[in-house]
Formats: sequence, C-alpha cells, structure tokens
Amino acid sequence: MTILTIARNTFRENIRDKILYNLILFALIMILSSVALGQLTLGHEEKVIVDIGLSAISIFGTLIAIFIGISLVYKELEKRTVYALLAKPVHRHEFILGKYLGLLCTLLVNVVIMAIGLILTLMYHGGVGFPGYLRLIPAVYLSFLSLALTTALALVFSTFSTPALSALFTFFLWVIGHFNGDLLEFGRLMKSVPLQWLFRVLYYVLPNLSNFTTIDSRNVIESAAYRQPIDPIAVLWVTVYGLLYCGILLVLSIAVFSRRDFK
Amino acid sequence: MNTRKLANNGARARALLGTCVVLALLIKPVQDRVEARLGQQSIVADQLYFGSPAAVKKMSLGYECLLADVYWMRTIQYYGRRGEAAKRPVRYKNLGTLLDITTTLDPDLLDAYRAGSSFLAEADPIGAGQPREAIKLLDKGISRHPLQWRLWFDKGFIYFWFLKDFKSAGEAWLAASRLSTAPPWMEGLAAMGLSRSGAVETAKTLWQHQYQESNRADVMENARNHLLSIQVAEDLWTLEFFLNKYRERTGSFPQRLDDLVRAGFLRYIPRDPLGTPYRYDPKIGKIRLDPQTKVRRLDVPEAYREAYLGRIARLYQ
Amino acid sequence: MAVIEIENLTKDFWVGFWKKRPIRALDSLSLRVQGGEIFGFLGPNGAGKTTTLKILMNLLRPSSGDARILGEPAQSVAMRKRIGYLPENPYFYDYLTAEELLTYAGSLFGIKRSDLDKKVSTLLERVGLSDSRKLQLRKFSKGMVQRIGVAQAIINDPEVVFLDEPMSGLDPLGRREVRQVIASLKSRGVTVFFSSHILPDVEALCDRVAIMNKGKLQEEGALEEILKVKIEGHEVILARVGAQDAAALKDLCDEVTPIGDRIHLRAGTSRQVEAVLSYSISRGAELISVNPIRPSLEEYFFKEVTEGSKRSDSAPIEFNTRS
Repeated sequence: MTILTIARNTFRENIRDKILYNLILFALIMILSSVALGQLTLGHEEKVIVDIGLSAISIFGTLIAIFIGISLVYKELEKRTVYALLAKPVHRHEFILGKYLGLLCTLLVNVVIMAIGLILTLMYHGGVGFPGYLRLIPAVYLSFLSLALTTALALVFSTFSTPALSALFTFFLWVIGHFNGDLLEFGRLMKSVPLQWLFRVLYYVLPNLSNFTTIDSRNVIESAAYRQPIDPIAVLWVTVYGLLYCGILLVLSIAVFSRRDFK
Repeated sequence: MNTRKLANNGARARALLGTCVVLALLIKPVQDRVEARLGQQSIVADQLYFGSPAAVKKMSLGYECLLADVYWMRTIQYYGRRGEAAKRPVRYKNLGTLLDITTTLDPDLLDAYRAGSSFLAEADPIGAGQPREAIKLLDKGISRHPLQWRLWFDKGFIYFWFLKDFKSAGEAWLAASRLSTAPPWMEGLAAMGLSRSGAVETAKTLWQHQYQESNRADVMENARNHLLSIQVAEDLWTLEFFLNKYRERTGSFPQRLDDLVRAGFLRYIPRDPLGTPYRYDPKIGKIRLDPQTKVRRLDVPEAYREAYLGRIARLYQ
Repeated sequence: MAVIEIENLTKDFWVGFWKKRPIRALDSLSLRVQGGEIFGFLGPNGAGKTTTLKILMNLLRPSSGDARILGEPAQSVAMRKRIGYLPENPYFYDYLTAEELLTYAGSLFGIKRSDLDKKVSTLLERVGLSDSRKLQLRKFSKGMVQRIGVAQAIINDPEVVFLDEPMSGLDPLGRREVRQVIASLKSRGVTVFFSSHILPDVEALCDRVAIMNKGKLQEEGALEEILKVKIEGHEVILARVGAQDAAALKDLCDEVTPIGDRIHLRAGTSRQVEAVLSYSISRGAELISVNPIRPSLEEYFFKEVTEGSKRSDSAPIEFNTRS
C-alpha cells in the first residue's frame, strides 16, 4: 500500500537524521544518572529511577515529536521533493498519512529503546520484581498516546507554516493542553455568560493533554513509581479520546494539504 | 615565505588557546564571589515566584513526580546543612515550605510527612521549632492516607512532647489504635497519654517506639538522645529530691553523694546513662551533668518534673 | 487520439498582502499532443511553461479550462501510473542512495519487489549511474541528479513522459546522453513532452513545438513549418583569393565579406553558387566550405518573441540561447 511505502521511507529518513541520536543519547544519559541521583534521596532510589526514566521518555519523546513533526511536510515543500512524489500515483491523503505513520513508528522505536534503558537501569539497581516492571507499561503507553497527539499537532502546522512558527505554536498548545481543567475553572469564575461559554468551548477544543498524565486524580508516573495499578477502563477512554483527536487533526492536515497549490 | 605564514598561524592559534585557558581559570574565583552574594536566595525565590505549592504543581506540566524528587532532594540537602547550623543560627525557616511543596507534588511520599514533621517540630538547633507547622503537615498526610497509623502516631507525639497538649495527643493515638493496621501497644499508649500522671512514662515509651519504628539514622539518633536526656533528668530530679530531704533531716547538705545511701534514702547513687558520674557541689547542694560526658542533653519539659516529683513523694511516704 | 489535450487553460496567481491582484500566468492555452511524438514546449523564463506542466501534474489547479492526459483529467491519480515526470531543478531525498530512490519510486508505482531490482539495475546502467548505485544522493553532482531524475521518470515504462528542462546543468556529454534517452523513448512509441529553453537541443529532437510567451501560446506546429525552412542560399568560404578576384566575385553573388585571410560569400541561388565556384577554382582559390543558409531556431526566436513582446506592449524579455 502506498501509505505504508511512504511511511517506510519517512521512517528511513528519520533514522538517518542525526538529531534523533543526540536526543536518544541524552535520554539514556539522564536515565543512567538517575542511579546516582537516587542516592541523594536516602532510600527512595527506585522511585527516583522510575520518575526520571518515565519523565525522560515523555520529555524527549515530545521533543522528537515536535522537532521532526514540524518539518514533516514543510521539508518536502521547501526542498520540492513533493513535486516528484505527487506526480506519481499518490493521493494527497496517502502522503499525509504515510508521513504521520512513519514518524509514529520512529517514535515507537525510540520509546521502546528508552523503556528498555529504564528497565535495565532498574535491573542494575535491583530489588524490583516482575510486577514492578509490569506497572511501567501503562505509563509508557499513555506517554506514547500523548506523543501521537503532539505529532499530529506538529503535522497540522507543518502543512502551512514555517518550522519556527510551527514549533512555537505546537509547543504553546502542548503547554496549554495541561491547563484545560484550570481554564474551565477560571471560566466558572467569570461573571459574564458569553465568557463562561468561551472557556467551556476552549476546554473541549484545546487538546487535553492532562488526560494522558493524570488518571483518577493521580499522576500516571507516580502510579508507576509506587507500583499502583491504573484503571484499564480509564485508559480505554483516554485511548478513544486520543484516537478521535488525532483523527480530527489528520483530517485537518489532509484538508489543508489537498487544497494547496504548489507554486 | 609560506612556512613563515604557517608558523605565524600556529603561534596565533597557541596564543588564542592560552587566552582561553587564562580566562577559564578566572571563572572559579568570580563564580565564588557571585555565589557569596546570592546566598540562600533560591528557595525564597521559589516561594515568591510560584506563590503556592499548588501553583508549582500546575507548572510541572505532568512531571510533578520528577519535581517532587527534586524538591525532596533539596529538602534533605537543606536540612543537612547542620554543619553550618553550628556556626550560626539557621532556624530552618524554609523547611516548612520545602516540605509543603514536596508533599503537594507527591502526596504519597510518606517519609516527607514523617521525618519532615519530626524535624519541623524539633527545637532549634536540631530543627525548625515549628510544631504547629508539623501538625499541619501531618494532617495533610493523614487526609491523603487516613489508614496510615504511623502518621497518627507522629501527630500524637508532637502534641504530647512539643505542644504539651496531652488531650489531643491521646485522641490522636486513640484514632491510631482503631486502625486495623495499628500495633497492639497503641491502645496502651493512648490510655497513658490521656491520663496526665503518666506523662513521663508516656514520653519514654514514645521515644522508645520512635527509636524502634524508624529506619532513618538521624531520626533514631534523635530519639536516643531524648531517651537519655529523660533518664538524666529523672536521675537529677531524684537526687535533688533526696538532697533536700537530707537537709531537712540533718540541717545541711551531705558532704558526698554516698552519704545519701548511708542515710538510707537511696540504695545506690546513679551515674549518667553513659557511665560518667554526676557532679555534686556540697556547698550549694546542687547536682548536675558532668560537662565531659558524651550524653547529648536535650530539654525535658518542666511539667514532667512536677509529675515525677509528685510520684516520688508518694512513694517515699 | 491526442495523448495530451489542453483546452483554454488559464491560471491566475493572486499576489499582494492586503489587496490581492491577479497575475495571469497562463492565458487560454490550447494544445494537442499526439501519441508517439516528441513535443517541444518552448519559451523564455516566465512564459508559463512550468505552470502548464504543474497543472498537468496536478500540482496546481487551473483557474479555468481543461487538461487531459491519456483521456483522463489531470486530477486523476490512477492515470499517473502510466506517466513519468521530471521536475525542473529537481531535488530528491538526499539521504537515499541512487538505488534506494529508484526502488522507492518504483514501489510507489506499484511495481512488485521481485521485478524492481532488475529494473533498477537496468535503469541505472541506461543513465550511466551504475557506479553510483550505493552513493547517497547528497553526494551527487548536478548532472548526476539530473540523470537519476530521468531514471525515476521512466521507471514505470510510462506511455507519456513529461520533462521540465531535462538538460539543465548537464555538460555536453550529459546532454548527449539525455538526448539519446529521449530518442530511444520515441523509438519505443513513448510520447515525450519536454520544455526547454536550450534551443539547439529542441531543434535536434522535436517533431512539433509550441512557443509560449507571457502566458500565451504564440505558435504551434511542426518545426519545419514554423521555421518556414527554405534554404536561403549557401555560404561559400574561400581562401587565397586575390584582390581583383574578390572584386569580380562581388558581381557573381549577393554578398562578399572578407574575414581574416578568407572571404565569405553569400550566394542566393544555386546558379550563383555554380558561378562562384567555377570562377574561384579556375583562379586557383582554395575552397574551404559550402554550407546551406537557413534561419536557426535562435534567430527565429529573437525575431518572433521580441516582436511578439512588442505587440503586447511590454519590455523585451531575456533569453538563454547558449548551447
């Protein structure tokens, strides 16, 4: 299928991009150094290792998603490689979906590598049973969902904006996305009804990234660090939200891209 | 001509490198100067900047666990500056804030509530001397973990020892004893706490339990010091009591402490818990701890003295 | 049936930030290209050649009008399986090797993996890049990029090939190779539509041409017709001609121009040629060469295009006639 062909090529492109290796290296260094940092907490090493490890996966994954995502389409437009591509039997939507899927696979590989690094660090530290390792999986999964959404955001901007602006907007939306609940609360304090409605609308429209970080009022990384289970039904609903929102963003990207004239 | 150019280029490169090295060496002294002026601003800056621990949590964008670890490390380091405490009064005024932020970011860090409240309550120079803050911290922990008997235990402890509020202490221990996870001695402790006459016994039991329950070296050492101090206090109060009784009977203080034994008041003269004899001054009839002893003497509340002396008086009757 | 049909194709671009005004890049272009021919699409920079090609490649949408390839509208994606395209100043993924690029292109056409390897090898050889098979494109020279571009345009054995400035950046050797490829395409019955402003190449290859200027079609038809080739005489170059002979020759032909130690004569009719030749040979002059004179495409362009510009009341355009 054409989408898979383009995805495979995008994956190949990302793998050959040096920035990827730098970021992975930093992430792994961060995870390894957690062993040393853990000593400073007097008896909480395991918690620190898990905290740093899962946070690193999330942070560096987000950086990769943004940095590579913003140039997914832009690079092809600027370098004009898109001309030769679209003159072939390739639909515009296949192009967009293929690029997205390719970056998603790259992210998946990265996340897996970093997760393995975390597990190895925990094994080196010792004293973590199999259930402890299992508890990491939901946290990593939710992190990955969040990355998929961030990538889709970057992709949308990439279809019409320069990398600098795209990075700014994507990062801005990513930050705001953690404050959705606060926006709603803030809106409730408003006296005027139209303003209340505005904040309500914003609450639903802006990407709600705190869905992926907090389940049942509990931070997912914390749940993993304390080896607490995370409600699978909640995770299911979050997945549905993620797929829905990503779907909207992808359709938007395809729409923008399909209407473009390539001058 | 070309070789001369090359040599010049080489010389210039070396000169530039040398300049770099010299400048680099200047970094350390300048940085030290800068730091000396800044001092301990950073923690205060946090508080002002973020306004509240809840705000810090908001700012963490989903990474509050990581931040909690960072703050916990900072708290430990902040408290660990006890070396400096010996040089000048520190009073740990930011300890409460740091603990508040840490426990907001990670409400499940039990150690923060326990060890944190312990050192919040302890008087200067060991701690911050803020027992009310310690109670607030423990209440925060209890609201999140109502089934953790240890938090109730610590709360009662602080009411009892630092705030002298025996009633509240007893109530806290009673609540602890009702939890299914509480150890069997909790009920007895609650009973003791609620009866005022058992004050010193309760205190000793408390410190003993804390010494046994904790796995932190600093907390254990603190408990031990308190236990020894209570022992010293009891010894000194006992000796004082009988010295006065001796004077009542004979009209003057004994020449030596052994006289108390010969007079039949005591069966033996105690030494301090580490084996050093107490110092007696016969002219004024005062007894005190030998300054050379290795016992670290901490304050024992005066209220216990009354209760203790009252008990001895009844026994002597 | 016409392989490429363009009917009243118009494209306006809107420029300006607040007040948008249209710039008409293409104005009612109508063209037909028949199967199996090599069609040249000519014109100076800015004439609308690339715009036309982009509309044909569905990279731009026309403002009005119709464009069809192989009977299908230009927007059709399925039709693209049967065509090939080389863009102007092409750029391909520089992190891929030559082999990888062609394999990628081939797989986008739906060619099976089992057939691809052989095809790629053959193609690389055909464009002279077999040695660079495993070399990353970022290390390619411009000429090499051009050649791999041609290769990816024909990997699917298309029925129609669209080439936008295929010779640009190539040295004479490279140009000849590309010319050979194009010629060989024709021999296989492939229709070639190529735009260029290197006229000698067009002259050498094309059956029919269309000439664009400022978005409008100026001329279309067989090359010979357009140039209205008739031999306007011959040029005779002689050496070792004495002064009196030169004077005498002036009467026998239309024009005599001494250049260096030779003289160039322009003889309008064949009779003049005979006269000049028999006279000079009998006088012991050395015959250097006899060549037919006919206007070149270059001269035609200079004439037609600048006049066409004058007609449309605008400044003369600049133009590359370098070979």
